Order: sequence, then structure tokens, then C-alpha cells
Amino acid sequence: MKTLALFTIFVLIFGTVSTSLVNDAYAQKDPNILLHIATQADKQILNQLDRAYGDSVPSDIQALYEKGHTAVESLESSLPDDMEQARENFLTAMKSFKQITRMISEPITEARLTTSSDVSDRDLKSELNRLHKYFQSLKTVSDNHNTGIDFSEIKELFAQAREQINSGEIETATETIQQLESLIDTTKNNIREHSSNSASDRIIEFALKQLNKIKDILDKATSVDPDMPELEEANSIIQEIETLISEDNISDVKKKFGELNKIVKMIKKSIR
Amino acid sequence: MNQQIVPIHRKESLGEDGMLFVRTDSIFDTMVKIPLLVASMIIVAAVMPIQSSFSSPRVLDLIIYPDGSTHVSTEIDVDPLATDYELDLFGSTIDNFVAVGENGFLLTTDVIGNSALIETFGSSAITVEYDIHDLVSKQGRVWTFSLDAPSDFTLLLPKNSAIVGMTKLPINMEIINDQDQLTLSSGDTEIDYLFSTITNPIIPVDPTPQSDYLMYATIGGVVAAAVTGAIIIRAKQKTVKPIQDQQLTQTIQKNETIDAETIFKLKPDIREDDKEIVKFISDNGGQALESELRKKFLQPRTTMWRAVKRLERTGIIEIQKKDLQNLVKLRKNMEEEE
Repeated sequence: MKTLALFTIFVLIFGTVSTSLVNDAYAQKDPNILLHIATQADKQILNQLDRAYGDSVPSDIQALYEKGHTAVESLESSLPDDMEQARENFLTAMKSFKQITRMISEPITEARLTTSSDVSDRDLKSELNRLHKYFQSLKTVSDNHNTGIDFSEIKELFAQAREQINSGEIETATETIQQLESLIDTTKNNIREHSSNSASDRIIEFALKQLNKIKDILDKATSVDPDMPELEEANSIIQEIETLISEDNISDVKKKFGELNKIVKMIKKSIR
Repeated sequence: MNQQIVPIHRKESLGEDGMLFVRTDSIFDTMVKIPLLVASMIIVAAVMPIQSSFSSPRVLDLIIYPDGSTHVSTEIDVDPLATDYELDLFGSTIDNFVAVGENGFLLTTDVIGNSALIETFGSSAITVEYDIHDLVSKQGRVWTFSLDAPSDFTLLLPKNSAIVGMTKLPINMEIINDQDQLTLSSGDTEIDYLFSTITNPIIPVDPTPQSDYLMYATIGGVVAAAVTGAIIIRAKQKTVKPIQDQQLTQTIQKNETIDAETIFKLKPDIREDDKEIVKFISDNGGQALESELRKKFLQPRTTMWRAVKRLERTGIIEIQKKDLQNLVKLRKNMEEEE
């Protein structure tokens, strides 16, 4: 019996701990990926050194590069048999190359990118691509719910903006992007309005289900401590919610649910 | 049988031979109740996956745009009994936020600072997409992506970008539309990349190759025109041209490697140290590994690489890849310098 119990404990401990072990395990699908990345980085660094220093590479950087390159060579020789060594070599090489890139970069103050407000740094093509992805997400939602919203104007504006960017008309392209942003926002609201009926049904369905569950909890709490002050408050909110549902007042249902959930949490704690 | 419980810290009396005896058969029962322990472990084991499934994304895909902004796309399992879900975002500069429920409903959201409150109302899984400007920073020419990821994720790097440093081992890498897509594990990740000046993935190419090729083509054209003109004029003058001169004024196309002296006549302006390299390659049968050249001339890697690139630019040698090493070969077809 004791052996069985100990075995069960062992299995449970292993089962619990093993989930955290999985995250630390690195299983490269193709070990050559490491070599590919490291070799490419090596070439880039060599190129950067040539551009930055020409014939006079500083000795500390030269030493770092030699270290990185040697690690790449060792990485190649350790593959595919010695994966542990290969991983170590990869990290050594990439660490050295990383150090070099930091050293050869111009000493410009590091700054997080806030491109959307900084016009000088703006990459309109990226901005347009991001906006297009956003539009695609909304269009998918719209298509799923057959909203019948016409997207032809937006599509036309996207094509126009692309042409303007390609022909270097930056100011016009910026204006078109602004137009697009505003139009997509309007479309988002339209989609929301169109799907609000089904969304309301969904929320009502959810609310009724939840109310039944909460009522069960309150019944249980009443049997434990009928004088609990939160019980009366909870019952009162439930009545309010039921009235709001009958009036189809969804936004207030949401608010009241928030209040009710807080009280139910307190009740749950008390009866535990 | 009346079993006596003996505290484990109490020393037993020593036997005749001085040995210490401790009762071990009831220690476990004394310390803990086994059923209680098993029950606790079962609860812990059952709760852990639930906790992690509601807090970590099922799918997490990131796309970095050329301007450093990042598109985040994630699928998260949420509690279907909860009215809302608070999602921790990877930063505070958020654009184009969309949250969709499992039935394709657009969910109401409120983005405040680093978090988004999403009204899930019965959804058990949600899809969230947004753009963020906090994950990539730039210093000089180097762009750095950094993220403490809550789960494994994929990262699509911009076109023509090249990784020059990373702090983590990738799980996988794929090429999608000429872009590198890495699969990385959860935790802190930092990746340095820059926009590549190397266009050929196998052989390193000079940062301005097109302009150089254009220059050589122009020079070649001028030389060809001059050679043609000279031949016509000389033919008219009916003079016999010495064989050696003809070799120097015409484009040489031989099957075998040109000897060093001919190269120096065709390219009189090459540096003295480069001439030594050419001589060595010529004596070595017309080809040598770059590593052999380094050993021979005791030059650092970068210096030798530059010399080899110089010779490649002047059209004397060509570089081929051999087992990931640079094989430097004297060109069989060479044009005279203008």
C-alpha cells in the first residue's frame, strides 16, 4: 500500500514538474538551422567590419570576430553528432557577433520606435501593410456575419496609397493613409452595430446561464449562513439584471454583472 | 500489537557494539498522512494545467515590419464562465487592436496602458491581433528585437534582414516569401538584425556590386570598341602584330589558367601585396582556399578577405564555396585594364 502511495506521489510530482521542463528543452527540428544562421551572421559581420574600418580593424573587435568565427567553424564540425556542443558554439558565436555589432554601431542614443507619430522615421509601406492586415481581420469578421458592408472604397484607397508610395508621392500617400484609417474605424463601428444583435443574444444567453449558477451558490450560502449581509445585496442585483435582460438593456447588464461577480466572490470565500 | 510512536529526533539507546538504531518503519506515518499528501498532489497537478492554459497563449505569432513595428497575433484559452479577460500586452504603444471570440464575434475591448480588458462573455477561446511599437529598438544600423515571451512563438523577420546576434537557440527556421521565420521558445529573447547588404546567400558580395559590374561592363565595352578599332586600323595598314601584343589587347579566353606574369601585364595597377597572393594562387595550380592564403601570408581574416574581394573586383579571381570555405580561383577569362 505504502509502495503504491509513494509511486503515485512520484508520478504526480513528475507530472507536475515535467510541464515546466518541456519549456527549457530545445529541440531543433533541423540542426543545420544553427549553422545557417551563424554563417550568415559571420558574413554580415565581416561585411560590416569592412565598411566600418576598412584596413584597420581595432584589435579588440578583431579578437571578438576571431572568437565568433572559430565558434562557427566548431559548430560546423560538431554537427550533426554533438548537438550539445553545437548549441554551445552557436551561442558563443552569436554572442561575439552581437558584441561586435554593438561596438561598431554609431553611438546614437537608443530609442524605442514610435513611428506612428514621428513623420521623419515613418515607413509608409510598413504602415500601409499593417493597416491592411487590420482591415483583413475586420473584413473576416464582417464576412462571417454577412454584414453586407461594402469595402470597395477601402480597397480602392489601398491600391491608390500603394501607387502613391511607389511613385514617391509621400504627402499624398500620407493623406490617403489617414483617409483609410478613418474609414476603417467607421467600418469597425458598422461591423459592431451589425453584429450587435447576435452579440446581445450571446450575452443574454451567457447571463441567464450564469445567473442560474450564481443562484445555486447563493442557495448553498443561505444554508450555511442565512444572515450573511452580501446575500441580500446579491439577490437584489440578480433581480435588477433580470429586469434589464427583459428590457434588452445589454450595456447595463454587463455593468451589473461586474458588480454581482465581486459580491459572489466574497460569498464564496465566506462559505469555504 | 501496540505500536509505539518514537519521535525521530530522539536518540535510541546505543547497543552493545555502540551502533545507533533508529526506527524507520513509522517515520512516514508520523510526519504526514499519506492520503492527505496524495490528495494535495492530485489537486496541485489538476490545477496547474488549468492555470497555465488560461494564462498563456495557445498560439503566438509575431511579424516585424521594416520600420520596426511588430504585428502580434495570438490565440488564448479563456474561462468561459468569466465575463471578461485581462490580457497583458507586450507594451503600451498599441495600434489596430482587434479581439475576436470563438464564434467570430468582434469583442468589446478597452486598451489601457499595458493591458487590454476584453469582454469575453462565454467565449472559451479568443483571437487577438494588434500592432506594437515597443518590441524593436534601433541603434545605428542595428535593430534589436526583445521580448519576454509567455509561450513558444514564431517570429517573421523583415525582408532582406540578416540576424547578427541572438541570445537564444531557435527551435526551427523556415523561409516564407523570402523572409526568415524563426520558432523560438518562451522566455527572454533578444535578436539583433540589420538590413543585409549581402544579396547572394552563398558567396559574400561587395556592398555595391551592381555599380561595380556596371563599371566593368562599361570598361569592357570601351576596351572591346578600342580593340576592334585598332584591329581595323592595323589591318588597313597591313602591319603584322606581334603575338604577345595581340594577347594583351584582346580579351583572353583560354581553357587553362593564366600565369601570374600575364595577369600582371593585363592588370598593371594591382597592389604589390595582392601580386604576392596572385603568384601563390598561380603556383598552387590556380586555386587556393582563403584559409590557406591566411596561413601563408599570416594575415588576419578580415585583411585577407578584403584582399580577396579586391582581386575579385578587378576580375582576377573568382570566389567559390567549398565545404563552407571560400575557394579562391584565378579566372580563366580575364579582360585587360583600360
